[in-house]
Amino acid sequence: MKILTFAAILSARITTFILRLIGRGGTSLPGRIALLFQKDLLGILSQKYKVIAVTGTNGKTTTSRIIGSLLFEAGLDFFENKSGANLLPGIAASFAMDCSLLGKPGHRYAIIECDEAAFRTAAPKMQPAIVVITNLFRDQLDRYGEISHMLTKIKEGLLSCPDSTVVFNSDDSLSYSISSSIKNSIITFGINESPYGSDDDFISDAPYCIRCKGPYNYVYRTYGHLGDFYCSSCGYRRTPPDISATDIEMNFERSTFTLHLYNETLKVSPSLPGAYNIYNVLAAVAAVSSFINDQTVLSVGISTFESGFGRMERVIINDFSLTMVLVKNPAGLNQVINFLSYDDSMKILVMILNDRFADGTDISWIWDANFEKLFSFSDRFSQIYLSGMRAEELKLRFKYAGYEPNMLHVEKDYKHLMEKIELDNKENLPVFVLPTYTAMFDFRKVIASKFRLKEFWK
Amino acid sequence: MDKMQICHLYPDLLNLYGDRGNIISMTKRLNWRGIQTEVFEISVGEHFDPEKYDIVFIGGGQDFEQEILLPDLLGEKTANLKYAVESNVTFLAICGGYQLLGNYYKTWNGHQLDFTGAIDIHTIGSTERMIGNFMFEAELNHRTIEIAGFENHSGMTFLGSKVQPLGKIRKGSGNNGKDGTAGARYKNVFCSYSHGPLLPKNPILCDFILQTALNEKFGNYELKTLDDEAENQALTAMLRRLR
Ligand SMILES: [Zn+2]
Repeated sequence: MKILTFAAILSARITTFILRLIGRGGTSLPGRIALLFQKDLLGILSQKYKVIAVTGTNGKTTTSRIIGSLLFEAGLDFFENKSGANLLPGIAASFAMDCSLLGKPGHRYAIIECDEAAFRTAAPKMQPAIVVITNLFRDQLDRYGEISHMLTKIKEGLLSCPDSTVVFNSDDSLSYSISSSIKNSIITFGINESPYGSDDDFISDAPYCIRCKGPYNYVYRTYGHLGDFYCSSCGYRRTPPDISATDIEMNFERSTFTLHLYNETLKVSPSLPGAYNIYNVLAAVAAVSSFINDQTVLSVGISTFESGFGRMERVIINDFSLTMVLVKNPAGLNQVINFLSYDDSMKILVMILNDRFADGTDISWIWDANFEKLFSFSDRFSQIYLSGMRAEELKLRFKYAGYEPNMLHVEKDYKHLMEKIELDNKENLPVFVLPTYTAMFDFRKVIASKFRLKEFWK
Repeated sequence: MDKMQICHLYPDLLNLYGDRGNIISMTKRLNWRGIQTEVFEISVGEHFDPEKYDIVFIGGGQDFEQEILLPDLLGEKTANLKYAVESNVTFLAICGGYQLLGNYYKTWNGHQLDFTGAIDIHTIGSTERMIGNFMFEAELNHRTIEIAGFENHSGMTFLGSKVQPLGKIRKGSGNNGKDGTAGARYKNVFCSYSHGPLLPKNPILCDFILQTALNEKFGNYELKTLDDEAENQALTAMLRRLR
């Protein structure tokens, strides 16, 4: 057995090394090869760590990174898997890279972002100390199937780890519904007020009760189907969360709010805009609340947090800033549109839509997103560029939202796209790039080589 | 000014794959021609008036949502839907909505769910999913046109004798993956497994459906041509990939 584990770790390292030499990061190959030698590699290696697993539809990466920031401030040693490595082979390879060749752990804690569909198989092997479920939204139905199936899969994953403490979003009627079917100890987080004005339209993924199919009522909503929900037919309702936010103020750069941690309160101001990032902060605080409760550690960890790659990454190129925000489903894109609406200044907008497996092969979701709202402040975009494998379809979506087609520039070649942006951007306006998953990797490679940014797997 | 009344049936439950794209496409293409539109959203517990609407749209949903609406659909709405179909109201039904207009759905293990029977089709569940970009050919105005879309269904739908297929499948599975048919037509009812943005990038089909409804309301209606460059670019890009 031992020799097979050794061979598995060695093979993962050699494969990773070779892939880096030939300039290819972020593949699942090392993990898949390692698992050929030792199919229980993940179980064997992860048992020596205290694992914090983060799953759910939106916010996995940011939540994981904030947890990392909190652990760092608390002086606890940890490693994280890369966001592209969140399926079982990638997670196994992450452990193999952190261990010594003999399987000795390199750190005490492991923060593991886990794809929601892979959670059912990965969780029983890792037996996480803590599981965070950020939320459940409709996402890439071609890949994940119906939301009710996702719920069942996550529940099955949790039933196989009865000792894990589970962190739930109490504002999410979907994922929170699992809490009554498990015996684990539970910590909840939520937002105790509506962070937006009342004029926002809410596209709900869950208008009807998951338990009895009656319609939900809301005391207030935060976004999508999240909020203080209750079902008058069966009594299923949000319970007041253990960790919560009130007195929320948001602008384009950051949000400020009062964090309630059981009986303590703390004013925090993370440099992360948007209500969805308040949830990410709350989820991270909830995840560490059983072993980190020093107020200074929490507030420093939250305020010094720098947003992780892709999800909201800002780089300075020559004399302008380029911000990349991953978009992958209507709820997430609507949040980005909301966030863009806060800022009055002129900017350049780029959207890149791919339909590879990891993006979701079905791009129908763009018709559910609120491009009409994006059009309502279109006078703030000096240029709009559309790119990716389905750029033409994106152009159509923009046209039907109200844009004149001749305002929309389609450029599929990323190098040319970047050149055009530089050429057009004489006033050094900030550039906002909204890519889908694989587009984010590809586009970043182009920027990285053109402007010598650090490679993305480091 | 001419005005068309569009009913979106169960918009909060049958809205799975950007189905709203079809409503957006129909209303915009009417508005661009100076025809006003009003969209009525009719859901659970709300009366469906079979004489009020010129176009009725029904989208697709997840099993959970379909279970919620079934008791409501099988009440008063079924008779009214049948009446509307028989009195030549124009319908567009997609995926789950397509199945719900039929006689029944039989799951792969033999359990039968009775549906409205507004058109003579039925669906048999399969363990295999028919999923991906697909294309079919349809005869519209004596012209053969190519239509591209995305299908994602496990139900195999079979057409009764009075129902015509909307087209012939060229790439993908279509109604059932067996008989080469794609979608269905009966009177002024159009059905397809192509979900979400079926109409936006298939402007000829969209206009044909609108023409059908306009003719029904106003007699022979002259539909102005629009600049469809962006629509055709999106269609061509997908057709090129599928060929
Ligand atoms: Zn209920």
